[in-house]
Amino acid sequence: MTGADREYRRIRAERDRPGPVLRKAPGPTAWFDVRRGRTGHWAFSLNRITGIGLVFYLYLHLAVLSLLLAGPESWDGFLHLATTPIFLGLDVVLIAGLAIHGLNGLRVALIGTGLVPDRQKALFYTLMVLGAIVVVYSILHIAESA
Amino acid sequence: MSDPTPADGRTRRFRLFRYRRGDGAPRSETFDVPVGASRTVLEGLRWIKVHADPELAIRHSCFHASCGTCGVRVNGREALACVAALDATTTSVTVEPMANHPVLADLVVDMGPFVDRFTEPHPLVRPVEPAAGPAMSPEGEPHERFEDCIECGLCLSACPVAATDDTYVGPAALAYAQSLLDRGEGDRDAILDWADGPGGAWRCHAAFECTEACPSDVRPAQRIMALRRELVRPRRRR
Amino acid sequence: MSVRPSRLRSAHVLIVGGGGTGGALAHDLALRGVRVTLVERGEFTSGTTGRHHGLLHSGARYAVNDRESAVECIDENLILRRIAPGSFEENDGLFVALTDEDMAYYPSFLEGCEATGIPIEVLTPAQALSMEPGLNPGLRAAVRVPDATMDAMRLPLRFFATAKRNGAELLNHVEVTGLLIDQGVVGGAAIHDHVTGRDAEIRADIVVNATGPWSESVARMAGVDVPIRPSPGVMLAVRGRLCQMVVNRMHASGDGDIVVPQRALSVVGTSSWVVEDPDDLGVPEDHVRRMIEEGSRLLPAVADAPFRAAWSAARPLIGTRGDADSGRELSRTFKTIDHADVDGVEGFVTITGGKGTTLRGMAEVCADVVCRKLGSDEPCRTRETVLLPHTAAFAA
Repeated sequence: MTGADREYRRIRAERDRPGPVLRKAPGPTAWFDVRRGRTGHWAFSLNRITGIGLVFYLYLHLAVLSLLLAGPESWDGFLHLATTPIFLGLDVVLIAGLAIHGLNGLRVALIGTGLVPDRQKALFYTLMVLGAIVVVYSILHIAESA
Repeated sequence: MSDPTPADGRTRRFRLFRYRRGDGAPRSETFDVPVGASRTVLEGLRWIKVHADPELAIRHSCFHASCGTCGVRVNGREALACVAALDATTTSVTVEPMANHPVLADLVVDMGPFVDRFTEPHPLVRPVEPAAGPAMSPEGEPHERFEDCIECGLCLSACPVAATDDTYVGPAALAYAQSLLDRGEGDRDAILDWADGPGGAWRCHAAFECTEACPSDVRPAQRIMALRRELVRPRRRR
Repeated sequence: MSVRPSRLRSAHVLIVGGGGTGGALAHDLALRGVRVTLVERGEFTSGTTGRHHGLLHSGARYAVNDRESAVECIDENLILRRIAPGSFEENDGLFVALTDEDMAYYPSFLEGCEATGIPIEVLTPAQALSMEPGLNPGLRAAVRVPDATMDAMRLPLRFFATAKRNGAELLNHVEVTGLLIDQGVVGGAAIHDHVTGRDAEIRADIVVNATGPWSESVARMAGVDVPIRPSPGVMLAVRGRLCQMVVNRMHASGDGDIVVPQRALSVVGTSSWVVEDPDDLGVPEDHVRRMIEEGSRLLPAVADAPFRAAWSAARPLIGTRGDADSGRELSRTFKTIDHADVDGVEGFVTITGGKGTTLRGMAEVCADVVCRKLGSDEPCRTRETVLLPHTAAFAA
């Protein structure tokens, strides 16, 4: 085999190997890539982030509820913590997460079953506005009762 | 529309993704292209190849959004380079290959894996729906026309699910399957089983980025939703 | 000096140029059992082939002034429908007369179609308008012809797909940087691969130059000349499928005298001028304006249809220096040139000229020449062999 033949075979072999695959950005950082997505991408990313957040919250919630088993002092201790401003702030974050995830899920369900005609972007904005109203209302309500 | 020898000296900066097999990592390279020679991204890329760097690997064929070979990402957004217009005020543009397809070199991707996702060879021609076109031929037969999908792969590039999961068949393949069902072609049960499987229609998260990216009005996301509705309807045979 | 006859199976043919002609030739030779390698410096059909409007010619355009081309077209038209079913919008075409001049051309048009065997149907203007409501209502005569629409890239790609399945090695993004010549015999090519950035050599018994308007620059690598003048034309795509049938102007070839539906677009073509360098064509704005003007005379909606794209493509026209300046007068037929006969250079053949529609026919003639040089009279099988779907060209 001549040198030229060897070169040719090397070229063929290298071409046949699979090449690198670009992703929108490596891993979960893709979720925050502003340039690359339009509203649909944001809806997708928000849903994932809030979903993970809510799962995390669920474990936290169960852990907190387990305090009930430890008796009235530990529960009272928790209630004291639960009325601090920071905690109430986190409550608002939780409500926002629930609103976004729930309403977006509603959008996906409505679109997927064909109950809503082809207006998915309008639906997304409407539901997010609704969610924003819910969050604002809850902020006001919490601030009032605090 | 451009002249080979543009009179005004204004240029714009093209920032291109460069990669060769055997390179450790891709790199970025900039070129200054006359504004008059880059009214579309593809014109600019060709100017670079002819006048600045003949080594630049690019993909193109029809120049009018019919062949689907020039899919790239322009400033991060999916577009066909041949119709991605650059107006006089655009001073810089970044061009990268499509995402979620393996890169061959520079802006060229390997379309093999994309084409492999389709259930069967994509038929090109279908009858025109009577309502869509004007009078039919004198024999009363509907006119024929090509499928809208030009297999450009932009939908797969835009899909956030495809970005994290290579087993998802992707919007083009699902949209095509749905269009077969729509026309009563293909093996209905086989197609539905395929769409029901892992990596099929249920993997979609309704981001609708594919419909946004599609240059041919295929509306793959809507078709995937229609496919899901087909899947949840009771089947005739089992 | 002639090449020693060798059995086809051990022979190797290198095709330079991955347009429709190269692909069809790879297919033809692969079917005859020849080992084929094809190299294309860009994507397949990225030269001239992919850029045309997608007309499957009935040949009627050439029935009056270029009967040789017209017959080639109608023959190949029928063959392609048979071997590539499902690749054409078989909606026929119309030739439409608008002016007195057109009406003067009309009788010779009918005569030409009859003489060349192109089946036509004379229509009344009212019939034409009912078939194509978008036509200029002032049309004076109309003739229905067996034009059809193809996808300019995907139809040739079926030849590539079938050739690949039959063992041909098809390499895109590989550029020929020079030919290997020893004592007047071409023995292969030096190549540069754009994917890996590496150089290598490919040895072959025969090298075929199938590079269309670039034929001259490749032929020069062998120290020979070919009579090719790159002749570009502008095309314009507007949004909206303004017609279902191909619409042609009934006159001797002129600018903007055809509108071809392409999916949801309408493509208006074309114009003609001559250049030296097929890589640097430009898109003259006055030519684009002429497309709009002439196109809207056929289909008034063209005037207001939103712009989609405008581009140029270089036809490889056969003609020597000193021939007509606009390119229109040059023949649209094709030629196979065996440089051993013409220039005394062995192992090198050029196939050039022609139209998108005649790709299979061109390949047959060239493959006959190539096989004869290799000492075989293996027959051509491409008239009957149904082609694989285009996706097989990319599939693993």
